[in-house]
Amino acid sequence: MKKILAALLVAVMLLSLVPAVLAEGEEPITLTVFRGDPGDQPTEDNKIYKLIEEKFGVKFSFSYLAGDLDQTLSIQLAGDVYPDLFDGGNSADLIISGGALINLLDYISPEKTPRLWAHIEPQKARLIEKDADGNDVLYIIPNYGLPDGPQIALSVGGPAFFIQKQVLEWDDYPTIKTLDEYFDLLERFLDANPTDENGTPYTGFGILCEDWRHFCLINPVQHLMGRPNDGEVYICVTDQNYEVTGNDPSVEFKTETFIDKPYAKAYYKKLNDAFHAGLIDRNTFSMSYDQYIALISSGTMLGMFDQAWDFGTASSALVDAKMYDRTYVALGLVYDPDYVNGAEIEEHYLNGSLPNVRRGFGISTTCQCPERIIAMWEEMLSDEWQLIFNWGIEGEDYYITEDGRLNMTEEQYANTQNSQWKLANKADGFFQSSPKKQGWIMNDIQVGDKVVKAGNCWEPGNQDEIVFGLMNEYDKEFLAAYGYKKFADFVNPPIELAPYGEAWQIDYTPVTVAHDNFLKVQDRVLPELIQCDPAEYDAKWDAFVDEITPYCDEFAAFMQDAVVKEAHKVLDNVQ
Amino acid sequence: MTGVAKTPERALKKNKAGFFHVLGSQWQLALMSVPMLLYVLLFNYGPLWGWINAFKDIAHARGTWADFLKGKDAAWYGLQNFENLFRPGAIMFTDTIKNTVAMSLINLVLGTVSAILLAILLNEVRQKSFKRTVQTVTYLPHFLSMVIVVGIAQIIFDSSTLNPGPLNSLLLSTGIVKQGPDWLNTPGYFWWLVGVINVWKEVGWGTIIYISAMTGIDPCLYEAASIDGAGRWQRILHVTLPGIRSTFVILLIMNIGHLLDTGFEMQYLLKRNATEQVAYTIDLYVMEYGIRQNDYGLATAAGIFKSVIAIFLLTGANFISKKLGEDSLM
Repeated sequence: MKKILAALLVAVMLLSLVPAVLAEGEEPITLTVFRGDPGDQPTEDNKIYKLIEEKFGVKFSFSYLAGDLDQTLSIQLAGDVYPDLFDGGNSADLIISGGALINLLDYISPEKTPRLWAHIEPQKARLIEKDADGNDVLYIIPNYGLPDGPQIALSVGGPAFFIQKQVLEWDDYPTIKTLDEYFDLLERFLDANPTDENGTPYTGFGILCEDWRHFCLINPVQHLMGRPNDGEVYICVTDQNYEVTGNDPSVEFKTETFIDKPYAKAYYKKLNDAFHAGLIDRNTFSMSYDQYIALISSGTMLGMFDQAWDFGTASSALVDAKMYDRTYVALGLVYDPDYVNGAEIEEHYLNGSLPNVRRGFGISTTCQCPERIIAMWEEMLSDEWQLIFNWGIEGEDYYITEDGRLNMTEEQYANTQNSQWKLANKADGFFQSSPKKQGWIMNDIQVGDKVVKAGNCWEPGNQDEIVFGLMNEYDKEFLAAYGYKKFADFVNPPIELAPYGEAWQIDYTPVTVAHDNFLKVQDRVLPELIQCDPAEYDAKWDAFVDEITPYCDEFAAFMQDAVVKEAHKVLDNVQ
Repeated sequence: MTGVAKTPERALKKNKAGFFHVLGSQWQLALMSVPMLLYVLLFNYGPLWGWINAFKDIAHARGTWADFLKGKDAAWYGLQNFENLFRPGAIMFTDTIKNTVAMSLINLVLGTVSAILLAILLNEVRQKSFKRTVQTVTYLPHFLSMVIVVGIAQIIFDSSTLNPGPLNSLLLSTGIVKQGPDWLNTPGYFWWLVGVINVWKEVGWGTIIYISAMTGIDPCLYEAASIDGAGRWQRILHVTLPGIRSTFVILLIMNIGHLLDTGFEMQYLLKRNATEQVAYTIDLYVMEYGIRQNDYGLATAAGIFKSVIAIFLLTGANFISKKLGEDSLM
């Protein structure tokens, strides 16, 4: 009897130990991950994910966006079971207002998670929001835009007027600063060279109008007026242009839609002229994104207004094909003075860096182990892990020089540009949407028996050795002809970020209907204006303004409030 | 006299208890129809519950069954959603009704006429192998995904001035036009483009049912007609066409019931910014404002509107067909 009792006792004790042991060693789990953009599944034996599994016991099951983002998110919201790591892409507002994400501030504090806290601390005025009950909330730690050290601006990554390098080369490297100079050059080049060496006709200027990428059609005017990207509104931060805009500079951050203003009329008139001069091909208005990328990749589009990341795949294709003279330079154009009552406008396409608010992974309310994810992110923000994510494995993916600099061989660098290689050797699916270090490496890092010295860059693409060491000869000569060091020298250095940030990030859900109508009218009428008979332009413009004004008014009024509110989040915090 | 078994038909007429008697005597048949009945109840009537959303103020996809059971769903909204359907905007709901009906009618007329024409032509072909080949080639596009069909159409109708697509190249080379039409961007062409692409995709498929109807026509009729001196044209006119009349009417009634269903994928893929106003159908409107912009209430209201119109159309067509002495569905 005693023996049986003893045996039972032992059994009970052993059983009670089991959960304790499991909790200690952290049983392996698989996190479901949704990415709000399209992508490819990593390979089974991806080396970085293997490392994560060994160290944290965490595997990932990825699903990428296929189809329309808003639709996909809405359907997920209706379903009530969310992926553990939930990236809402550009529409995270939907899942936040739908209540799908937990408040990370419950888990992040200077004591518990010193690295994460230090990471968000400098920008916490912009990042931490108030919910409906007035509590501090943070749903998403930005995936990008929290860099260490001074801003790095090697090239224009965002909006600009782009022009093929061969066009500038053909005209003996002129300096192009205004709209007229730009179109004049395109027209002269096209007259002299109607087709490329294969007999394919050149397109002078392309305008992508597809779906949300219509910013190529509707955004340029603010930049021509000397502002960085505020989306669809012009905001008066300095009184530089108030004579042109009629804005009262004493009104704080006076916000207006620009598309219905007289100063916008000149841009579309210019496009109308360009259309009738044969610079713009009619099919640009019905072109799909794929067709647009294909056209750029073929090297026959001379110029366009776009954002550099939007045609990144085409740029890479041109480089792969060694058509270096068909790649693009970003120009910061402004209106010529005679368009705008003689005002000399200064160009500001680049501005201070801004956290990518509400973009990146949030942790969903149905996730069973938020603590574990936070602990993992905390650990991953260490210099060692950041080096692995950004540069890879020492000796395989990069090397460290005698004097502590990070570098890659040509082959290693070529690998990082190869999407198939990346699926097996980079953890992009996870890392791109996770909190990460950018900018400068601030401390020495011990890697094995070598040391990476402070002053290297986190991102290989910013490292001098990579950018200039591996730059092709054509680009080197091209920059030398201008006497520039880098491609960002074609535009002014970044101006200080306005206190409200960048207005395109503002969530306009409360005025969805007006905003949607505002965009739809532009989508329909602007192509008509560009193609219409020049004699009818004025009348058509007036009709356009009449039609769009009610929507502009409603949208601008909302944005005015929102911009002031955003600005005060930061201004009040500073004081 | 007692003891004589009543025929089932008479029993049905005379007393109601007989209904169950008949049902009992045909239980095998009744049993076979149960899955279909369940299917309709589950998938066609069950979701009608969701119509309740049309009268609620649904902000963000809330208002699922689970929420309703938890008492957490949206507040009542009266008829506001229906009023919102008619608020001014760049794409008006009334435009979408017009677009849907117009494109459906074009599809219906072009589709039916082309299918009957092709069916008659094929019926007249006596060489079997040729007939088979034509039939297969014409109905193959039916199996293509709409994405591919629209992709092909985009290439054919490419209106680039620098690199025109095949159609515009042809027009330009024959000198019919000086500048090729801007097919995809001109609102006036949109409905007809949809109609033409639809014919290309569906004409072969549409002929199948008519050809089978024509096979059912008694060959004696043709022989008798020939003997009476009818030529090929008259045989078509007086034998073939009357022979497929009832098929045509049934199909017409069914198609009218689905009149408002035509139009989602092709319009979605083919529309451009310039043509949105004429391209939006009710279904696209429901998707755009309901699912993309999360106003499920408004989307449901639009859906109800559509159903009500469809019911009127269907009963109307059925009524007219009955009056004309033709077959009817109800």
